[in-house]
Amino acid sequence: MRYFDYIQPENIKQASESAGRDWRKALLYAGGTDLLGLIKNEVESPAALINLKAIPGLNGIEYSEREGLTIGALVKLSQLSAHEVVREKYSVLEQALKETASPQLRNMGTIGGNLCQRPRCWYFRGDFHCLRKGGDICYAVDGENKYHCVIGGGPCFIVHPSDPAVALLTLDAGVTIASAKGTKRVALKDFFVLPEDDIYRENILQPGEIVTHIHVPPVSEKTVSGYIKFRERGAWDFAVVSVAATLRINGDTIIDGKAAFGGVAPKPWQEEKINQKLKGLSVKPGNFESLSAEVLKEAEPLNQNAFKLPLVRNLLKRLLVQLTAS
Amino acid sequence: MADSKIIKSKYFFEEDFTEELAEVSANKYADWNKKELKVVGKPVSRVDGYDKVSGSAVFTFDVILPNMAHAKTLRCPHPHAKIKRINTKKAEKIPGVLGILTYENAPKISWYGKSFLFDPHLRYEGDEVAFVAAENERIAEQALKLIEVDYEILPFVTDAAEAMKKDAPKLYDDGNIRGGKPSVYERGDIDKGFEEASAVAEQTYKTQVEIHNPTEPHCSVVNWDGDYLTIWDSTQGVFSVRDRVADVLKLPASRVRVIKKYMGGAFGAKLEAGKYTVMAALLARKIGRPVRIALDRREMNLSVGNRPDSVQKLKGGATKDGRLTALYQYSYGAAGAHPAGAGCSWALRTMYLCPNVKTEEYTVYINAGRARPFRAPGHVQGFFALEALIDELAEKIGMDPLEFRIKNHTDRDQVFDAPYTSKLLLDAYRVAAEAIGWKNRPQPAGSDAGPLKRGIGMSSQIWWGGGGPPAYATLKLNRDGSVRIIAGSQDIGTGTYTILAQVASEVLEIPMEKVEVLLGDTAVAPYCGSSGGSTTAPSVSPAVRDAAEQMKAKLLSGAAAHLNVSESQLVYRNGVIHTKGKNKKSMTIREIARKMGERVLVTTGKREANPDGYAINSFGVQFAEVEVDTETGKVSVKKIVAAYDIGRVLNPKTLENQIHGGIIQGLGFALFEERIIDRNTGKVLTTNLHDYKLPTVKDTPQIDIRIVSKGDSKISNTGVKGVGEPAMIPTPAAIGNAVYNAIGKRIKSLPITPDKVLTALQS
Amino acid sequence: MKKKSVSSSLSRRQFLKGFGSGVAGSVALNKIASALPLQKTLEKAANDANRTPLNLSVNGKTYRLSVEPNRTLAEVIREDLQLTGTKVVCNHGECGACTVLLDGEAVYSCHILALDAEGKSVTTIEGLLGGEELHPLQKAFVKKDGIQCGFCTPGQIMAAQALLLKNPRPAKEDVLEGMSGNLCRCGAYPKIIESVLEAAKTD
Ligand SMILES: Cc1cc2nc3c(=O)[nH]c(=O)nc-3n(C[C@H](O)[C@H](O)[C@H](O)COP(=O)(O)OP(=O)(O)OC[C@H]3O[C@@H](n4cnc5c(N)ncnc54)[C@H](O)[C@@H]3O)c2cc1C
Ligand code: SF4
Ligand code: FES
Ligand code: FES
Repeated sequence: MRYFDYIQPENIKQASESAGRDWRKALLYAGGTDLLGLIKNEVESPAALINLKAIPGLNGIEYSEREGLTIGALVKLSQLSAHEVVREKYSVLEQALKETASPQLRNMGTIGGNLCQRPRCWYFRGDFHCLRKGGDICYAVDGENKYHCVIGGGPCFIVHPSDPAVALLTLDAGVTIASAKGTKRVALKDFFVLPEDDIYRENILQPGEIVTHIHVPPVSEKTVSGYIKFRERGAWDFAVVSVAATLRINGDTIIDGKAAFGGVAPKPWQEEKINQKLKGLSVKPGNFESLSAEVLKEAEPLNQNAFKLPLVRNLLKRLLVQLTAS
Repeated sequence: MADSKIIKSKYFFEEDFTEELAEVSANKYADWNKKELKVVGKPVSRVDGYDKVSGSAVFTFDVILPNMAHAKTLRCPHPHAKIKRINTKKAEKIPGVLGILTYENAPKISWYGKSFLFDPHLRYEGDEVAFVAAENERIAEQALKLIEVDYEILPFVTDAAEAMKKDAPKLYDDGNIRGGKPSVYERGDIDKGFEEASAVAEQTYKTQVEIHNPTEPHCSVVNWDGDYLTIWDSTQGVFSVRDRVADVLKLPASRVRVIKKYMGGAFGAKLEAGKYTVMAALLARKIGRPVRIALDRREMNLSVGNRPDSVQKLKGGATKDGRLTALYQYSYGAAGAHPAGAGCSWALRTMYLCPNVKTEEYTVYINAGRARPFRAPGHVQGFFALEALIDELAEKIGMDPLEFRIKNHTDRDQVFDAPYTSKLLLDAYRVAAEAIGWKNRPQPAGSDAGPLKRGIGMSSQIWWGGGGPPAYATLKLNRDGSVRIIAGSQDIGTGTYTILAQVASEVLEIPMEKVEVLLGDTAVAPYCGSSGGSTTAPSVSPAVRDAAEQMKAKLLSGAAAHLNVSESQLVYRNGVIHTKGKNKKSMTIREIARKMGERVLVTTGKREANPDGYAINSFGVQFAEVEVDTETGKVSVKKIVAAYDIGRVLNPKTLENQIHGGIIQGLGFALFEERIIDRNTGKVLTTNLHDYKLPTVKDTPQIDIRIVSKGDSKISNTGVKGVGEPAMIPTPAAIGNAVYNAIGKRIKSLPITPDKVLTALQS
Repeated sequence: MKKKSVSSSLSRRQFLKGFGSGVAGSVALNKIASALPLQKTLEKAANDANRTPLNLSVNGKTYRLSVEPNRTLAEVIREDLQLTGTKVVCNHGECGACTVLLDGEAVYSCHILALDAEGKSVTTIEGLLGGEELHPLQKAFVKKDGIQCGFCTPGQIMAAQALLLKNPRPAKEDVLEGMSGNLCRCGAYPKIIESVLEAAKTD
């Protein structure tokens, strides 16, 4: 790695000011599991890293019946999945966290960093000056694109790599963003951006903006939720595709439900139409089959990744059957 | 007593014959099959276990010398280019940079036949452009970026089929086909054979490029003392490195010492001297400091070898009653940018009884890293195709695939027309079929109810691995009765230190703790071959037995002299020498050794000659049980049963570990691993361990190992055949056949990834 | 079907080319331009004044060091402390060979800055030994032969140690999960699993 300065801010304001001065010159550094990889691969060449771990108060997990979960952005993935409330009430999140990366990486990586991690496209990470890096061509579109997106792409065709983000979407999570100018709260579904909106970033954060907390609303007693991640190897891989669902069930009927998909689009993907159809759906395998067939209807796969469509549909069906089994 | 002679020795090493003069032992020893062995064949723990688990094992990667400089290599970013101009001035000025080599200032040393150590014609992404030494790796790395290179970018070709076309970009003036023509083998008359057939199967199978990716990178630390060069090298062959380095640097072999104590894996990728070793030696001499060079993971994936891919068009014919009448193979594979073997037809030529056989194989140059031997080169690819074809033929004639194989069993090698020294494959079939429950496999294929479908498949295996001379071992007896074995072989993780100590301990009847083994040092050890081809144990263990038996004879002679009796009156038991009869007198080894004063007894053992007129091969079979998720396309290997005829087992613990390793690598090749090159830019995309997918602990199947052989006394005094490569050969084929059995669709190209399975299921 | 998607993606690619040299493209250039010229960073790196003091506690011993911020924990352990038991294989958080304990938790030392270990306690493979005596876990690896070439072994053992500290009686599934962040190219997995289970039994 080439040389960079290491800044230990005392508070958000300092961190934000150091980060905000110049685009990508000073980068926020949390667990570093993603950032150091980017620096080693020379995707990023920052002059300085701003160590968020130096800021107090960002690594707690709180829960109240009214507010639900409030998670500090610096909370480690392993710390979060081990939390009692997460294990009791937010299975989908617990499962997604446990399927993320490897045990060591989960001890190192933070939830904030996970949501803000950069894409894994092998051209992006490799020695290719592609669109997202300021070049003038997307190498994936007619190159090796088995792992790329099937929907929401263009002009760049990444998939968003985060597992927890997919789970959090089904839980209606939100994030608090702070900067030297103040704080704001946005829904997670509005946090991520598509390449057609901004090809140089994967979320709405402006230089100097920092995710400080993640909020997960409380869930009712009758909620069931789960996550299925499909990877090629037994461990360690990012999702080829993944499916999350959180359902409120009464008797044989899904009162309310949300599904979300990973590995298919440049952001964690939701379809309003599917969520609408989940409402009031009665629990029957046939219903799940036809609902699943509706997923990703507008997909336009690239030449090597059409297999993701049956895959994601089959997994949604499987997950719905599993969640409604008892 | 010590009888020896010099012969012309010929044996197989990694798909090729080696032939050299060798001094061989003519001593005959008692057959170990007729004896109760106490140490050999027992699950003894590794003698180097302590070093490896404590972190104290010093691998080449860990060697630190005083004042050592660190080197890095600038590699070509393009698949095909020429250097027009190179300027290192800026890089040289960086504080901490000590020296830079390029084709402009390095001696012109020929490498890979038609190329050079530094060649301005760069034939693949990763080809060496410059070599920098600096105070530390970080500085060297940054210096690389300040070297200015003007490349003339040339058209490239990274696909073997494309490269074979007339108008393809050329890597060499005389074209992209190595030798200009295929290598052809023929026996009998295949046209006649196909006429006799009542069923014919014809199919094209493909296998991908696999990267060795040993955990320890290729690395060397070099140090000059005047004209004497010492090299610590992560290598499978200390002598092969010494000879090459001495040769290109024009040094007497006696002035080059190569040392390798521990090595973090190789699998064939470290059989030859690396360019980086020679570059380090050149630069070390220039800057007057020791130099360390260790490749990074990206370089490992680009530049230091791979299993070449293959496209195999196979055709086979059989009679209704299950006799093979003809086998034909047309195949090609990419050697990469420089000469390397890409053949894979030995499977088809040797495995089954078949009078009419023809193979035509092309080795093709492409703009990608050069191939090197990789655990059972050729065989892993060849068996994947052959065993699929055999299953397809069996299905065509309506015969059980196992029965079909048994029908075509042969007790003779058909290429050399010689009997095998031993072949217990039929036993292996029987035992393994029983253990996997062959009878209960889904029939017909694909009939298991979904969505998780179970399937069972099998593959046979043949490999050479009998080893042979030359291989020597010196044994020294210390004053306290402990011994040291010194041999120019190397332990590459297979347990060589341990098995050699076991052999000495067995013969001399002394505890393992009293035996030390020194390997991998050309300055002190007698010659042994490189550790590859599954030849180490079969070649070196008999030399150690020979040395130890000679030592035993010396001890008897010493005892006789001291006790004033004739040797025939003495008995050697438990490391103690007794006189026979009533008034027993005895001496321990230690006592005899002490009586020798400061003199140390030394013997040198030699591997005996292989028997004339025989073929030596190992045999085995694997059955795989898989589960295919028809909704996701994921293949999970549940169980592998592996049954082998590999001669004597010296140590069941390290043997099992070897077999596990071969199976898991085979599983990786079958399901995950693949070098992927971007079709548009010719650049490799899988240059790290996340995109290049090695199997993880969670992919490990249940493994059941059955050994059906005892020592093969015809081969050597220890009767060992190698197992390292045989362990991997049948795995991908067995998995491929099991997937077919599960889903009723054949995936004809490796790796069998979910996208291929899903696509096949939808067709 | 196949043809159509290829041609549609080709046209998308054309579109991109236009896109890149258009408005957004020019924004890109100043956004993406590397932050500091290489020469500058080199000068900085060479200047001792740009080192940061670091109190590093490794295997119970505290070292007063001064390191550049861009150095990883693995580099400092191997180069400055010369504790070469910790291996670096991928240098990218993708293999586990460099696993050490940081306050009792397994982390990849190749993928963490040395400065981040300030105030924490690091345990490397050498730290498991009691004098020359092997730790029971290390003994289990010898007994069950959870080793081939041995290069991944220190990382495997440290991952196992972290697992056993949290869960002294793991089931086989727990072992698989706990060891899933460590690759072994030799494929010694079956015996690695046995070794960890053995250690759990004897501990
Ligand atoms: C080999 C490997 C495998 C992986 N597999 C998976 C996987 O399967 N699933 C998965 O979901 N992830 C996976 N990951 C990603 C991993 O989970 C993330 O790298 C990690 O969670 C990021 O957290 P961090 O604290 O280390 O982030 P950092 O590396 O410190 O930061 C990541 C990015 O986010 C920015 N950032 C960090 N914190 C904040 C903040 N609070 N506010 C604003 N910006 C911030 C940084 O500037 C940087 O750009 C894998 C990573 C590796 C290396
Ligand atoms: S998909 Fe995006 S990140 Fe990947 S090559 Fe195309 S533009 Fe670059
Ligand atoms: S060397 Fe650190 S994870 Fe591979
Ligand atoms: S023992 Fe060789 S890599 Fe694990």
